[in-house]
Amino acid sequence: MNHYPVQASIKSTCVCLAIAGALNGAPACAADWGIDISAGLSSDDNVTNAFEAADRKADTTAILDLAAGLHHEIRPGTSFGLNFISESATYMSYSGLTNLGLGVRGQLRKKFGLGAAAPWTALSVAALHRDYHDDNRDGWQYDASLAVGKRLDERWSLHAMAHYDRYAADEHQPQVIPGLSSAAYDVSGRSIGAGVSFLATEADAISLNAWWRNGSVTSVTHPDLEVLEYSDAVIQDAAFGANAIAYRIQATTTLFSLNWNRVLASGVAVNLGYAYRRSDTDNDIGGYYANLFNLSVTYSQ
Amino acid sequence: MSIRSIALLAISAWLCAASPVIAADLHATVYDEGGTPLTDAVVVAYPDGFAIEVPKTSTEVEDQIKKEFVPYVKPVHVGTLVKFPNKDDISHHVYSFSPAKRFELPLYRGTVASPVMFDKTGIVKLGCNIHDWMIGYLYVTDAPFFAKTERQGRVDILQMPAGPYRVHVWHPRMFASEDSTIRHITVQESASVEWRLKLNREFRARRTPLPDEPGYR
Repeated sequence: MNHYPVQASIKSTCVCLAIAGALNGAPACAADWGIDISAGLSSDDNVTNAFEAADRKADTTAILDLAAGLHHEIRPGTSFGLNFISESATYMSYSGLTNLGLGVRGQLRKKFGLGAAAPWTALSVAALHRDYHDDNRDGWQYDASLAVGKRLDERWSLHAMAHYDRYAADEHQPQVIPGLSSAAYDVSGRSIGAGVSFLATEADAISLNAWWRNGSVTSVTHPDLEVLEYSDAVIQDAAFGANAIAYRIQATTTLFSLNWNRVLASGVAVNLGYAYRRSDTDNDIGGYYANLFNLSVTYSQ
Repeated sequence: MSIRSIALLAISAWLCAASPVIAADLHATVYDEGGTPLTDAVVVAYPDGFAIEVPKTSTEVEDQIKKEFVPYVKPVHVGTLVKFPNKDDISHHVYSFSPAKRFELPLYRGTVASPVMFDKTGIVKLGCNIHDWMIGYLYVTDAPFFAKTERQGRVDILQMPAGPYRVHVWHPRMFASEDSTIRHITVQESASVEWRLKLNREFRARRTPLPDEPGYR
């Protein structure tokens, strides 16, 4: 019997409570201490990033995320934020993907001028260690982004972002094919994105985001010699069965997302989102796509 | 009756009319279009055709508590000094772009040493440059009588000199102009006035964060 999903949730909850408790006892100072908790479900109809229909696996995930930390105004218009992050994802079918991420995120933010409509820019860096049920996937996730944004009027706001991401597995398995790397989970990419949000009512916000990412991705399939021509790293993938392999390829990924967010009470909101993600390989293997849905409740203080 | 007596009577009557001294009360109620009582509406009353000595101005307070301006709406007499104490244990950065008063109180905690003088009539919309959702209003008026509706949308202006008045109402979200609410009423012992206001929606910056949207939460 697999207890890992329950353990991950319990572990994540304990981390949440510990950080919340620590914040509660934090001494009063100029820094603004805050906490964001998000709990919900998400579904992905292609968790394997598979090209072939036979390889596509769908799953539903229970999500519990926490960000807790401080926000400090360094000088007028310039602020610094530091958050401890806990992200847990419990997969219902493919428990090998269940993971708990713990890390830290820092953000430097500059607002150019006075007022809610003043443009701003934010530089963020984050490092998160993910502990998977399938130990081969354990590793560090690094993110860096530069965002700019502006509130256009009372109802419309825009933001755009450039992003770099990198994932590095803690350990690499022995090579499956001599001479071919086994670092199939080590991926990195550069993205640009933009988003617009619209206040439909005082409580309802609708946001639309678009992303373009170029970099490496990990896909899963059954052993296929053709894959080896295009992939620079291959590994056995226990999360999808003994006969599955994960391989790394270069691809351009496009993602469009549409979210509806409604404030239920002070600091409490419900979010319903849909995203379409498509990746096209840099060589001519083809492309794959995924439909992602999420429903979550957030609490911020 | 002698001519002298008639003249004295006439002068007395004129003095009474010109300087009413009988105390009277004005009861005002403000509703929205749907009949729901409206708080934070400012009711002002100007004497119509007679003069009243305006009380001396004082120093007022507009707080910042739990990242909100408290009160949301505050009517003050022109020439009033207003303090902006920060009762939160974090910094605020208060500002206004309003033509009636442009000012800025950069990052501070506790009470700002110098209060701000509001020497021009009009609406002063307050904001905080750190917490964009924070909005407050000062209604700066030269009217001798003014007050703000509380619960039940009611406000009572007591002990006014009896006489004719021009009264009107203002609310931050009102759709029509303030001038369109002007009423001319005579306040004797007691008078009542009522408004129904069509309101705009108020779209503040979101305090509750949106997923995937970077920025201060």
